[in-house]
Amino acid sequence: MDVTVTKLGETLLLETTGDIDRNVCGPVEEALNEAIADGTDTVLLDLRQVTYIDSGGLSVILSGVRRLRERGWLGVIGPNSNVRRLLEIVGLLVDPNFRVFEDEEAARTALGDRVTT
Amino acid sequence: MTDLADQGFHRVIRVKAETARLAEIRRFVEEAALEAALDLERVFDLKVAVSEACANAVEHAGCEEVPLEVCARLQARRLTFIVTDTGLFRPPSPPRESFHNRGLGLPLMVALMDEVSFARSPGGGTTVSLSVLLDRGAAIPV
Repeated sequence: MDVTVTKLGETLLLETTGDIDRNVCGPVEEALNEAIADGTDTVLLDLRQVTYIDSGGLSVILSGVRRLRERGWLGVIGPNSNVRRLLEIVGLLVDPNFRVFEDEEAARTALGDRVTT
Repeated sequence: MTDLADQGFHRVIRVKAETARLAEIRRFVEEAALEAALDLERVFDLKVAVSEACANAVEHAGCEEVPLEVCARLQARRLTFIVTDTGLFRPPSPPRESFHNRGLGLPLMVALMDEVSFARSPGGGTTVSLSVLLDRGAAIPV
């Protein structure tokens, strides 16, 4: 599984495609860990091209959210309705350190708000 | 509703008990669920639930030489996937720091399925049954 690391403004944006299951979620976990270890307070994960996620992939996201708990949040962009349902089941949608954005523009707006407030 | 969904079917897939085979199992689940004329959301739910049960089996059966078997059965408008491993249960080993998904698989299975049951197989392995009712919506009293 390939993970592309880019930036949206000053915020790290991780992009990946296909199924994020426990067999292939290693690179996503590594990229996320690396981003968080660098001291960033906000990370974005682009899920627009992700068709499936399992408990292994969800755990990677939960772990990232936990690690950002004291300093910021983890946001995902464009999860499909099925993936979004799983995010809800594991409690992420009510986690104050987790955010869901419909698209990149919504994420950009949120980041802008955060910078100016 | 298709004829097949009313007639029922029974099919089996056997793979090596390793996580690299999970995607293949999900394709098997998808094909069976689509033949049962389930909507795409329920097809997805089944893929997640069966994949989680298989991942648990791989983790706990602990032996790639022992095959993992998934049986799909459509009967009386109920689609059931039975995941059977023939290995002896053992705690996952070695513990991996990067493996944070402890405890998520079961809640996902329960949340997504209409029925979930676990049993010890006569041969010593574990059997997990995951079912969806084709007429779930109609069966729920108002």
